[in-house]
Amino acid sequence: MTPGSITPGIDLQGTFVRALTDLGLPAGAAKTVWIPLPMLLMLIVATVSIFICVWLERKISAAAQQRIGPEYVGPLGALQAVADGIKLIFKADITPAKADPWLFVIGPAIVVIPVFLSFLIVPFGQNLVITDLGIGIFLWIALSSITPIGLLMAGYSSNNKYSLLGGLRAAAQSISYEVPLALAVLAVVMMSNGLSTVDIVNQQSQYGILGWNIWRQPVGFVIFWISALAECERLPFDLPEAEEELVAGYQTEYTGMKFGLFYVGSYDNLMLSALIVSVLYLGGWSFPIPVEMITGLLGISETAPWVQIITASLGIVMTMLKAYLLVFLTILLRWTVPRVRIDQLLDLGWKFLLPIALVNLLVTAGLKLVFPFAFGG
Amino acid sequence: MLNFLKQVGDYAKETAQAAKFIGQGLSVTFDHMKRRPVTVQYPYEKVIPSERYRGRIHFEFDKCIACEVCVRVCPINLPVVDWEFNRETKKKTLNHYSIDFGVCIFCGNCVEYCPTNCLSMTEEYELASYDRHNLNYDNVALGRLPYKVTEDPMVPPMREFAYLPKGAMDPHDLPKGTQRAGRLPKDILAELEAEAAKKAPAEAVEEASK
Repeated sequence: MTPGSITPGIDLQGTFVRALTDLGLPAGAAKTVWIPLPMLLMLIVATVSIFICVWLERKISAAAQQRIGPEYVGPLGALQAVADGIKLIFKADITPAKADPWLFVIGPAIVVIPVFLSFLIVPFGQNLVITDLGIGIFLWIALSSITPIGLLMAGYSSNNKYSLLGGLRAAAQSISYEVPLALAVLAVVMMSNGLSTVDIVNQQSQYGILGWNIWRQPVGFVIFWISALAECERLPFDLPEAEEELVAGYQTEYTGMKFGLFYVGSYDNLMLSALIVSVLYLGGWSFPIPVEMITGLLGISETAPWVQIITASLGIVMTMLKAYLLVFLTILLRWTVPRVRIDQLLDLGWKFLLPIALVNLLVTAGLKLVFPFAFGG
Repeated sequence: MLNFLKQVGDYAKETAQAAKFIGQGLSVTFDHMKRRPVTVQYPYEKVIPSERYRGRIHFEFDKCIACEVCVRVCPINLPVVDWEFNRETKKKTLNHYSIDFGVCIFCGNCVEYCPTNCLSMTEEYELASYDRHNLNYDNVALGRLPYKVTEDPMVPPMREFAYLPKGAMDPHDLPKGTQRAGRLPKDILAELEAEAAKKAPAEAVEEASK
């Protein structure tokens, strides 16, 4: 990776802080004013992405089943999720008589908070990320393993056999699929010599679509995608909330906004996983043809402000596009693949994905030693 | 060692097959997305019931001879026929007649067997009510005619699948004046009558020549 080839892109923070210091604010205060802004923006992005996900889920499911889907709430039923949310807010908030009140309340919060926190490290451009942490992707892996604790809390505190079974299943599933997930990430990290999500994208973005990690890590991509689906408890891995067996798993006793939090958490988790896959394997914000190449051909300077703005918006669009394509794939999978049994699930995790992920890691390490130019040596 | 390699090979083959089948399944699901829905948005649009639709039963009080055949052919003897014997005319006079549509299964046996055709089946199917006793229709309620969907100004009527022109799947936005596939009964009847009329003068000529 040659540092000179990467353009800095637009630096919103720098511009904002400079504008405030010019107005006479001390530099520290200017930075303090800046800090909540991207966080707020990210919260809004995460929330809006839930609405889009729910809408896509309902419309695509309907299309796959030759139905129409929601039609009357907003244009093409786009506000259906808002209507659902408002209904959930106004529903009676019931805590079962013999439930553990503290765990019952904390459970959903612990499920949702890590998901929202993980949006910290999702980059939409060179500087369009809340924090370019050195441990980047590792933070996501660490945060995603907090979720099953919340699920277990929710399942245990509901004082209901279905909830308990659902919670235990969720914990077992998350723990088994965390391992191949982390190993698949490790292979990518090894190639990009860093955990930072921005570095991972930059390492892929040099040769356009040919440089994306999916070509160098096809096995890793499949492992990661399967494990991510299992982590999100999406079909075919939705055992913890399997309606036919467990009513609704750990959600059984929840009503109102507490139930809504689980709902928000699951869709946000799906969106987050899709974003992370697009960052790790599909080149994140990079366009299939490198932007530098296009600007070079057209004879435009990359650093011109309007070019930078176009590049930045193109990056955001590309990231979202890749993520939503993956979301589309999960919805298609949902109506294609039947749910696996719990023993099949654990078999797949421990006896299939784990060895393959290990072999993939070893092969990547070997390739990195043999072909250092292609595998980031 | 060889055995182990074979096992590994078999496992790999099974994995590839599983992947292939999932791919096939995905393509089927994806293909279904092109097929457009034929949904009729019910309270806002309604399907036109077919000619032989078995809806709520209509009853003509004056035609009834109180023979109680409808009661005998009914699977659960549902119709209630309240009659008196009139000694002067030596005939039964009907006082009341009722059918409880909360219990009726709309099998149409009573309509089939009624000797005077005083029972018939309508195309009415919206019988919902807040109290099940409201579904017990007396002879006045049974004598009411249903509202036709095609005459409702609020509701666009939609044709059923069998009544669509050839190749059409969706009842919406059909061009005006389209007919269903095949010939209509009234056209067949008109043709038969025309043929009979053509034959009739010929027969008359034959008879005259004899």
